[in-house]
Amino acid sequence: MQTVKKVLFALTATAFISFGARAQKVDFTEYDLPNGLHVILHTDHHAPVVAVSVMYHVGSKNEEPGRTGFAHFFEHLLFEGSENIKRGDFMKIVSANGGSNNANTTQDRTFYYEVFPSNYLETGLWLESERMMHPVINEIGVKRQDEVVKEEKRQSFDNRPYGNFVNTVEKDLFTVHPYHNSVIGEMKDIDAAKLEEFKAFFKQYYVPNNAVLTIAGDIDVAKTKALIASYFGPIPGGAPVVYHKVEEPPMTKPIIDTFYDANTQIPLVSVAYRIPGRDSRDARVLQMISNLLSTGGSSRLYKKMVDDKKEALQVLAFNPTLEDYGMYIIGALPNNGTSNEVLLKDINDEVVKLQTDLISPEDYEKLENEMENNFVNANSRELGIAESLANGYTFLHKDTNDLNEELAVFKSITREEIRDAARKYLDANKRLTLYYLPGKAKAK
Amino acid sequence: MMKNTMKKLIMIAAGAVLMQYAQAQTIDRSKEPAPGPAPVLSIKDPVIYKLPNGITLLVVEDHRLPKVTATYNIDAGPVTEGEKAGVLSLMGDMLNEGTKTMPKADFDEAVDKIGANVSLSWSGGYASALTRYFGNAFKLMGQALKEPAFTQESFDKLKSQDITGLKSQAKNAKAISARVTNALSFGRNHPDGEFETEESIQKLTLQDVKDFYAKYITPSRGYLTITGDIKATDAKALVTEVLGSWTGPKLSLENIPDTPNPGKTEIDLVDVPNAVQSEIHVVNLINLRMSDPDYFPALIANYILGGGAQARLFMNLREKHGFTYGAYSSLPAARIQSLFDASASVRNAKTDSAVTQFLAEVNRIRTEKVTDEELANAKALYAGSFARGLEDPARTATFASNILINKLPADFYRTYLQKINAVTVDDVRRVAQKYINYDHMRVIIVGSQAQILPGLQTTGLPINFFDKYASPVTAPAAGK
Repeated sequence: MQTVKKVLFALTATAFISFGARAQKVDFTEYDLPNGLHVILHTDHHAPVVAVSVMYHVGSKNEEPGRTGFAHFFEHLLFEGSENIKRGDFMKIVSANGGSNNANTTQDRTFYYEVFPSNYLETGLWLESERMMHPVINEIGVKRQDEVVKEEKRQSFDNRPYGNFVNTVEKDLFTVHPYHNSVIGEMKDIDAAKLEEFKAFFKQYYVPNNAVLTIAGDIDVAKTKALIASYFGPIPGGAPVVYHKVEEPPMTKPIIDTFYDANTQIPLVSVAYRIPGRDSRDARVLQMISNLLSTGGSSRLYKKMVDDKKEALQVLAFNPTLEDYGMYIIGALPNNGTSNEVLLKDINDEVVKLQTDLISPEDYEKLENEMENNFVNANSRELGIAESLANGYTFLHKDTNDLNEELAVFKSITREEIRDAARKYLDANKRLTLYYLPGKAKAK
Repeated sequence: MMKNTMKKLIMIAAGAVLMQYAQAQTIDRSKEPAPGPAPVLSIKDPVIYKLPNGITLLVVEDHRLPKVTATYNIDAGPVTEGEKAGVLSLMGDMLNEGTKTMPKADFDEAVDKIGANVSLSWSGGYASALTRYFGNAFKLMGQALKEPAFTQESFDKLKSQDITGLKSQAKNAKAISARVTNALSFGRNHPDGEFETEESIQKLTLQDVKDFYAKYITPSRGYLTITGDIKATDAKALVTEVLGSWTGPKLSLENIPDTPNPGKTEIDLVDVPNAVQSEIHVVNLINLRMSDPDYFPALIANYILGGGAQARLFMNLREKHGFTYGAYSSLPAARIQSLFDASASVRNAKTDSAVTQFLAEVNRIRTEKVTDEELANAKALYAGSFARGLEDPARTATFASNILINKLPADFYRTYLQKINAVTVDDVRRVAQKYINYDHMRVIIVGSQAQILPGLQTTGLPINFFDKYASPVTAPAAGK
């Protein structure tokens, strides 16, 4: 008996170490309302807090040509009030009940949320259902938000050093796909839009069957389900949202572009590649490559360019996660008067090294530990959990459970896959070289 | 070694309203729903240990996730650098450049190998790791604090990075605005007003870094917070092993004299020709401590004026006028003078109109009573954000260290909501008049002078001109 017990104990201990992350499994329940609204509920009673969120599967990639910035503009419009909420009262109601709220828009989705003390759950449901059911969309709101969004564009992009960097990469990497356009868009497009177009956009995309309602925190599931039925049940379903992905023709030759930013004095030189969308395994392989290149003092580009050769002020490697395609961006800011060409050569050498040699077992172990650390840190707030759950459902083929499986996927990625992804996607003949330089912007 | 475990305390938020949950019944959507019963807020105090060398250790156990985080904060208060401006931040960066026994490359490799985050600054350090690696990460942080390598090579590298970094911000209106606002308000000889320049960085030597290290990196006045998947006794043993025998000079806070506000409200203008928006800061110096009875009315007054997206400044400058993406204010309490600051980024053409609205709102909160509704909403927001804040397990450690650092009564946070609730409409007006000036303010504007000056001249306020480093320049010749 004694021996058996010992063995069992040893097995348990091993299991605990290798799957320690299981201890933090995020439990949830999910279901659809008859109108098509997908509902995800996650319970956690450790603090008296609840996050109420709605993710609409609409972003800038759904915009009509000549109507860039529409999706983001819409996010602003939907704070203007509803049939039962007066203009300007939306934010007042949230804060007067001790909550916080906001929204944001990407190329692929628009995300609205409130975080409340948990006894205000019903207030959150009321607000979000009002927004989905019958928001007020009128000229007053359009005019006011038109000015506000223009200020946002100035503040976040045009007056900010390097503010137009990612927009420029997108513009160059995508020729026919709507990722070509920035999320903030061109202001003339909003100016030209008619009120009817805004109303039509709402009717087309802000339907329950194109949305995910995720509630995370200190809730009672049965009571919450009843409230959801009351508040969201009466909202009529809409026509299915049909989206046709625009196929980008493969890049056949390198692209070189230059952008001038009057707010900067130090260049940012970069290379960028088009990669598969976020539902692909390779997008995750490339995320590991980003860590290898630029996360931490021992990462390859940082160590070589910032510490050893002292030629760069900063290095970066990242892949913004998009639905249809992704972008893989590597860049550096020079120090000590280093030329752009030297920086590009050093970046390129590291890419070639990744394509040629397998990473060492030590580097691989490091990556696994970094991924596990990221994973443990990722889901520490209710709002973050709500968004991760909604992301899985919206972007990963309805796999709401993805956040619980993500680490296992990273752990299953092999050194060979890392080399092969570098070969396949970080191809010198299919890349953009962008010189983002100080100086006066040329006439647009 | 003294162990000081505070009693666990339970708080019941006032104003509980009972409600019945409906079973998918018809609801009246024309009205805002009534809230459920107010949740009971339970605050578990951290376990506090005092080490003989001066370090106060606060431990918050939270075993939900397999990770532990340590934050070490040396309470030196504001430090005047004088001619050595920039040395403290450079010294902090040097602490990340390896130790006497581990060159930087080895140190970085050791941190990254375990997927940890370890970083140091002149005010302390940070280490975060998976539970099974936390001991290693904490030891690396301790080693970096106690025996930094301080090589000339690292120093030269960081110095060149600092200079490049300053260059990279040279045309950034926001960065210029932050620098000039503090320099003009506090004065260039004040720790909050001084700033580094390419020139001051050039003059720094490795010896300067060593001197400031010897003086300021010490266990004296040190607060170490450890949060996460660790037992308090294990945390204490680890800290004792790593930092228990560490010694250093005793720190005392600098005595910093007050700076006067201007005799008459004025515009201070800095020309940044490339700016497409003006950075506006409407400011005056204040003396407000967390221990003052005025602290709670001041929180409420600022909240109503500019504390968020529902506050008057936002509603006026953004929602009513569309001048800006957002306008906010802050009225911070500190142990020395601090700055009341109402600010926004505003497009060039509306800069003068925005200044007028800022001053109108400042005047209104000083002269008119806020409404009962505004007051009630502000109180509700504080009650709610207090509850929401408890989502972060480290919050209770922040409470405890705030009490110690600011010499607050032990029940400061236990009675926090009661004190918020006691604030009256008259209190709000009284503190607004006391802390928010109208006649003695600076309106500091960083923007494209050619485009905004004519408008600003119509405000009737005196206008002074400064360069990007807060030095006075002569007024431009009168033009069109």
